[in-house]
Amino acid sequence: MSLARKRKTERTESSPLPAHTQQSSEDEKRRPFKPLPPPPSLRAERFQSLITATALFVGAFALRFWRISHPDQVVFDEVHFGAFAGQYLRREYYFDVHPPLAKMLNGLAGYLVGFDGEFGFDSIGDSYTDHKVPYIGMRSFCAIMGSITVPIVYAIMRESGYPIGIALFSAWLVMFDNGHITQTRLILLDAALVLFMALSLYCYVKFHQQRYREFSTSWWFWLVATGASLACTLGCKMVGLFTFASIGVAVLWDLWMIMDIKKGHPMSYVWKHFWYRVVGLVVIPFIIYLSFFWIHFKILIYSGPGDTFMSPAFQETLQGNELLLNAQEIRYFDTVTIKHKDTKAFLHSHEANYPLRYDDGRISSQGQQVTCYPHNDTNNHWQILPTREIPETGRGRVVRQNDVIQLLHVGSNTILLTHDVASPLMPTNQEFTTVSKEDEPNRHNDTLFQVQIIDAHEGEAWKSLAGHFKLVHIPTKVNLWTHPTHLPEWAFGQQEVNGNKSPNDKSNAWFVNDIISDGTGRDFKNRTAVVEQKQIKTRSFIKKFVELQILMLQHNAGLTSEHPYASSPVEWPFCLSGISFWTDGKTNQQIYMIGNLIGWWICAVSVSVFIGILGADMLARRRGLDPIEDGIRNRMYRNTGFFCGTWAFHYFPFYLMARQRFLHHYLPAHLASALIAGSVLNFILVETVNYPISVAGQATRLRPMVRAKLNDKALAVLMGLLFTVVGIWAYTAPFTYGLTLTETQVSARKLLSTWTLHFEAKEN
Amino acid sequence: MKESDADTKLRDRDLYPPPTVDVASFGGRRRVGKVDLGLKRREWVILAIVSVLGAFIRLWRLSYPTSVVFDEVHFGGFASKYIRQRFFMDVHPPLAKLLITLAAFIGGFDGNFDFKDIGKDYLGPKVPYVIMRFFPAVLGLALIPISFLTLLALRLSLATAILGSLLITFENALIAQSRLILLDSFLVFFTALTMYFWVRFANLDAEGRAFTRPWWRYLTLVGLGLGATLSCKWVGLFTIATVGLGTLRQLWLLLGNLKVTPRMLFRHFAARAMCLIVVPIIFYMFMFQIHFWILNQSGEGDGFMSSEFQHTLQGHGMEDTYADVGFGSIVSIRHVHTQGGYLHSHPHAYPGGSQQQQITLYPHRDDNNLWRITNGSSVDDAQYDWDTLPFDYVLTGSKIRLEHTSTFKRLHSHDVRPPVSDVEFQNEVSGYGYEGFAGDANDDFIVEIAPKTRGKRDRQARHRLRTLRSEFRLRHALSGCYLFSHKVKLPDWGFEQQEVTCNKNPTWENSLWYIETNTHPQLAFDAEKVNYQRPSFFEKFFELQAVMWRTNAGLTDRHAYDSRPQHWPWLRRGINFWVHDHRQVYLVGNPVVWWTSTLAIALYVGVRGLLILRAKRGYRDLYAPKTAFYDETCAFLLMSWGLHYLPFFLMQRQLFLHHYLPALYFAVLLLCTVFDYITSRLRPRTRVQIAAVLLILVIWSYNHFSPLTYARPWTRGKCERAKWLKTWDFSCADFHENMSQYKHSAIAQTSAKVGSNDGLGHDFTTTMVEEAPEPIKNVFEDPNAPPEEKTIAPVGPQNEVPMQASTYIAHPPVQPVSGDAPIPEDLRNPVGLDAGAPEVTDAAEDQGGWHGGAEDPEGHPIPPPAGVAGGVRAEKILNDHAEPARAPVGAQVAEVPELELDREAMQLAEEALRADEEGQ
Repeated sequence: MSLARKRKTERTESSPLPAHTQQSSEDEKRRPFKPLPPPPSLRAERFQSLITATALFVGAFALRFWRISHPDQVVFDEVHFGAFAGQYLRREYYFDVHPPLAKMLNGLAGYLVGFDGEFGFDSIGDSYTDHKVPYIGMRSFCAIMGSITVPIVYAIMRESGYPIGIALFSAWLVMFDNGHITQTRLILLDAALVLFMALSLYCYVKFHQQRYREFSTSWWFWLVATGASLACTLGCKMVGLFTFASIGVAVLWDLWMIMDIKKGHPMSYVWKHFWYRVVGLVVIPFIIYLSFFWIHFKILIYSGPGDTFMSPAFQETLQGNELLLNAQEIRYFDTVTIKHKDTKAFLHSHEANYPLRYDDGRISSQGQQVTCYPHNDTNNHWQILPTREIPETGRGRVVRQNDVIQLLHVGSNTILLTHDVASPLMPTNQEFTTVSKEDEPNRHNDTLFQVQIIDAHEGEAWKSLAGHFKLVHIPTKVNLWTHPTHLPEWAFGQQEVNGNKSPNDKSNAWFVNDIISDGTGRDFKNRTAVVEQKQIKTRSFIKKFVELQILMLQHNAGLTSEHPYASSPVEWPFCLSGISFWTDGKTNQQIYMIGNLIGWWICAVSVSVFIGILGADMLARRRGLDPIEDGIRNRMYRNTGFFCGTWAFHYFPFYLMARQRFLHHYLPAHLASALIAGSVLNFILVETVNYPISVAGQATRLRPMVRAKLNDKALAVLMGLLFTVVGIWAYTAPFTYGLTLTETQVSARKLLSTWTLHFEAKEN
Repeated sequence: MKESDADTKLRDRDLYPPPTVDVASFGGRRRVGKVDLGLKRREWVILAIVSVLGAFIRLWRLSYPTSVVFDEVHFGGFASKYIRQRFFMDVHPPLAKLLITLAAFIGGFDGNFDFKDIGKDYLGPKVPYVIMRFFPAVLGLALIPISFLTLLALRLSLATAILGSLLITFENALIAQSRLILLDSFLVFFTALTMYFWVRFANLDAEGRAFTRPWWRYLTLVGLGLGATLSCKWVGLFTIATVGLGTLRQLWLLLGNLKVTPRMLFRHFAARAMCLIVVPIIFYMFMFQIHFWILNQSGEGDGFMSSEFQHTLQGHGMEDTYADVGFGSIVSIRHVHTQGGYLHSHPHAYPGGSQQQQITLYPHRDDNNLWRITNGSSVDDAQYDWDTLPFDYVLTGSKIRLEHTSTFKRLHSHDVRPPVSDVEFQNEVSGYGYEGFAGDANDDFIVEIAPKTRGKRDRQARHRLRTLRSEFRLRHALSGCYLFSHKVKLPDWGFEQQEVTCNKNPTWENSLWYIETNTHPQLAFDAEKVNYQRPSFFEKFFELQAVMWRTNAGLTDRHAYDSRPQHWPWLRRGINFWVHDHRQVYLVGNPVVWWTSTLAIALYVGVRGLLILRAKRGYRDLYAPKTAFYDETCAFLLMSWGLHYLPFFLMQRQLFLHHYLPALYFAVLLLCTVFDYITSRLRPRTRVQIAAVLLILVIWSYNHFSPLTYARPWTRGKCERAKWLKTWDFSCADFHENMSQYKHSAIAQTSAKVGSNDGLGHDFTTTMVEEAPEPIKNVFEDPNAPPEEKTIAPVGPQNEVPMQASTYIAHPPVQPVSGDAPIPEDLRNPVGLDAGAPEVTDAAEDQGGWHGGAEDPEGHPIPPPAGVAGGVRAEKILNDHAEPARAPVGAQVAEVPELELDREAMQLAEEALRADEEGQ
């Protein structure tokens, strides 16, 4: 690059406009805006551009649809997302950590091609053809979305003012990317995610072009379109929040510029801009996002595999739910089994005592052990005793919210108590034990427990299954609690039960799993005279939404288990390791999700080159040098900087996440880096940019038009790069499409030693 | 990019001659950076008064508590290890601990006190704990004059400097932390000192006195200070970041000054790089050199370090061993990446899975670690007499079998999930076979030698196995999985040794092994021998850094009194240090200091944000000289505060309130600057009066909480009233109802506690009605122990595998089964109706389960009589059945007597099986 060269330039479109500040508001009668008719060369360019975009779409379509029917088996996460699509068609409630839009689209695709939802997608490798699943149609839907992404990338670059060749290059990087192809031709969420994310960028660029025609119809259109695509992105995966952040920062920067006193706008004008953007980019997206969940709840009305994640109140809104069918009111002297909500183990006791002294030297009360035990067993039976007078019959015998009870262990005829003695494993928590009926009067206070039903009003009846409750000890206020740590041999490795001092701990929740028998031995199922017909309860949409949203975030953070193909974000930009999606030992076929090695490296290099240029430029200007022409620098900072911010926002937050991370999480960031690659290439090869690209407002001073052109040398370089990318794509395509390879061919295609491919040739 | 007027001014400062008289502009006093500290007589006097006052506050009753408090457990313990020169591992760099050791050494401490538990008495064993506490207390005291000088160096008024130093003096958390043998006093002291030097340096630099002698002096002092801070705790990196950002700003300003020539720029850059990067690094490394010099004997930290490192410690030497490994060599094999130790087997069976003999990693040298390498390619190698066969190298790609010399089992793997890591891609590894058994194909492993050798480059060791040089992987010939181990411990039945599996998709380093000892009868006495290569200082240094980093990152256990960073600025809860004799030490800050400093930060951030917005709208209030001056000071302090506080949000490890102390120091300085600005228009007398009012508040609240700081008597009622926030969890129940009881407490305490020691004192339990967050007082404990065991070690070797010294004897010492009675099987079953317990049912189902390798020719048949043909086979099945299904811990049960079956017995068994078969 010619750092020393200084060109005399005019101010570009995005510089402050002194002319505008001079005009008083009275002058601003809206003169009809007359765009200049485009010169013939421009018209030709537009035509050429349209042809290119179409060609890109067709090309991407072909690349994604080639052998889409292969393999006719469940591949990787189709296990989950195929199954979710089936849930929509069966209308059974499921739970997943991702928002519903992309899954609903998959469901829609299934519906359109006539899938009945009766296939479980149970494990990778299950045959589709055997079960007559119209999987091709469902995959096609994703593949179409993946194909649309490519011309959108092209359009982003074109609208940002880069020549056709450069825009083609960016789109090419996405089109011939093995990673994108693999991920978008299967029934997964990423096709929709990447599409909406690209669309958000495109809409924002278009919106930015309208900035001199503020509050016009087209301005509003693109603002709302940006907001809508952002909502759709977020509706696919939580990664959409990063897209929000990228565009949010850019919008704040715009506002900052509008606020500048040199622009001469009054504060009221700035506020107007601010609030309109709030409407377009916060309020409308939020409503759209809500609507996805509204549809989600409207479709999923039957009980399904996701029930148990939800609160009882939620579960009772689902038809056919077990809670709805089996929940019974509990009465005094009922014998019940009590289950811990989180660990799904029964409260248990048996005729064995705590040892006198534990390994760490502490001493116990030597009382009877109280533990948790996962299996059904008569030692899990507890009888509920009243602590006040209750009537002989009738509804007065029903146990209600905040009632004080005693629990009798039926097997040993002893009563549950806790006291101020440290539990076996946790010196901070209280020991639970039981006391025989004879000794009970001495220890009466320690045997009193209050039933606190979660989210219940005063006087609400305690129900089995539906009533999650906390059991609070009256004298010491501790909660009955258990945790999945096993006691030593002396308690047969059962789970410890102790008294938890923090009252708001979520894991304090228990529920009555079953009523074993009535105190009178009568048939307790029909003890109410009239067996009421169970009705589906309703619950307000907002409550359901909030509950689901919180659960999603909690479970997302909880996905920390190991996975053999999980990878660290450091590896992603360099394509160091991929994911094995599917293998077939008979034919030596495999699908291995990995990016286009050279393509990704070009992107990674471009990002570092861009940061280098920025740093060098800042240092040089600090020393009074001005190496880059103003117009180009502006484009560099505003446009490429925006892409770079998008890349950073879609990449760096993954470092902070403790959950499982996979290579395909990098795809949105890769798309952004492909945009950077294009603009860096433009900076190197072309040294000019198209302008003006924004739509001129009435006060915009019109300046001569500049069109960037690639010269022959640049074209040659570009062609070289394009062919290299295609070459690498073709070389590693067998992993993308699942083609048969011999072992030596697999080994030859293992471009990096860190790729963990199957069917490699053995070294010996 | 855009520089403020203040910047421009600073940048161009060298154009103007430095002012010769004090400029009393902007309300503060402008000082010329003189060579001395630049104090007037009056200021010296005030400084002396404040310091004396501080000495009373910091050193009062230093000798109480007379027992171990909180983390004295660790840091006192490290001092005793230094004195005994036993190697230990800690997550903190050594400087502060060395200084504590120095104090202990001066006090004549002999290292024979282990500081094991909180509450352990010092007086009896005559530990010079007062001198050990004196050192940190003096540094805590030194913080007071440093803060005074720093505030003056920041060109704030004398009243502000007095206020600031007194705020520091009466800060309860700083007092409590500096009165004990803890590291934070050192850390805060060095941080404050470094920042003082930095402020002085920056003043000189801004005055255009670059490259003068005081400039150089302060620059070097900053470097040394950074080195010392970093050598106390890694949190010192935050101080480095602060100074680094300040340096970058200076360089950025210089860069923008076009009058500065590139040559000059380079000099500026080089001087800073020299003093702020090179000096701290050398200092830091020198501290570790001292650390290594002192700790030259093997100790409890050995297990963290590599074998090469251990080899440098006395008491860990190993004799030279033969270099060449051939078929028939008897070797011990070590895992490379984890410190789990040697490939090990012992005559105990897995309780689940195949129920064959366990294979583990065991960290100590032991005869059960010895394996004989035999050739897997020859058909009936079992009959070979390896002692007389000619020597044949093991090459990469050789198919080998490993025979356990003491039990004659072979290393074996098959398609059964391992006991703990029960995942699809891992297979169990077991010991299988008996003496004279020809083996089966699942015993075959293929040696793959790694391209990188251990230690020096050794070309030969890359293609044939050489002891201590070759690192290799063992691929299971049939299933292609690699012999693998990771930091997963087996349960009790495996003596908590490390699990060994066969992993189909292993990480590279966890599947690497090397041979540590090697003998072969065919090797001549004078054949080539090798030993570990002694690592250089740098290798040791970097290894220790890596281990410290990993250990530090691994400290993610919850502690009863840990807290998260978002709770610190508003002092949500403190730390219970010590409870004894109805007194307690509880780390809680002075709420007035704490909250006003947080308020000052919020105020500055808010106002600054507003000013930025106003600046964008054309207001120029940010450029007024006075505002600009205070803004610059505040911005610097805010940055220091932020860099010492915000990075904690990224840490997943346990964090405590005392981690906020360095940040608190800066918050207090910021508070002073804000105070100075707000009162800058007032007369000096009014200013002092306002400061006095604030100080009275501070001293009042200091006094209010001082019983918790100094462990003084307190009453329960006062304690309850002092709980200003519900989340403060000092336990008021531990105090007496009224002060007079403290006079008699000694007698009352002993009698009461002795009475409660019989384990039946339930009547005591209901006397305390506690609030939820209060810790339980365990009445069953012995009277000398602290009321609760809360010292979950934030440091120290947690992941060391604790186990007995040897498993060679079949009866594990941890299970001293009394006399002749073996643990009856039934005891393991749940009492009563627990028949469905998994350990019972599963075992019963699995009993006959011969899961064999997938490729085993006779793998499937589960009912033994179905496919029995030959004697060997019968033996094999019988052998599988003979492995006891349950109770691997009871050593008596776990013995495998069938292994000793002689030919006759085998035939008898065979006949019995045949008869069985015919009977069907």
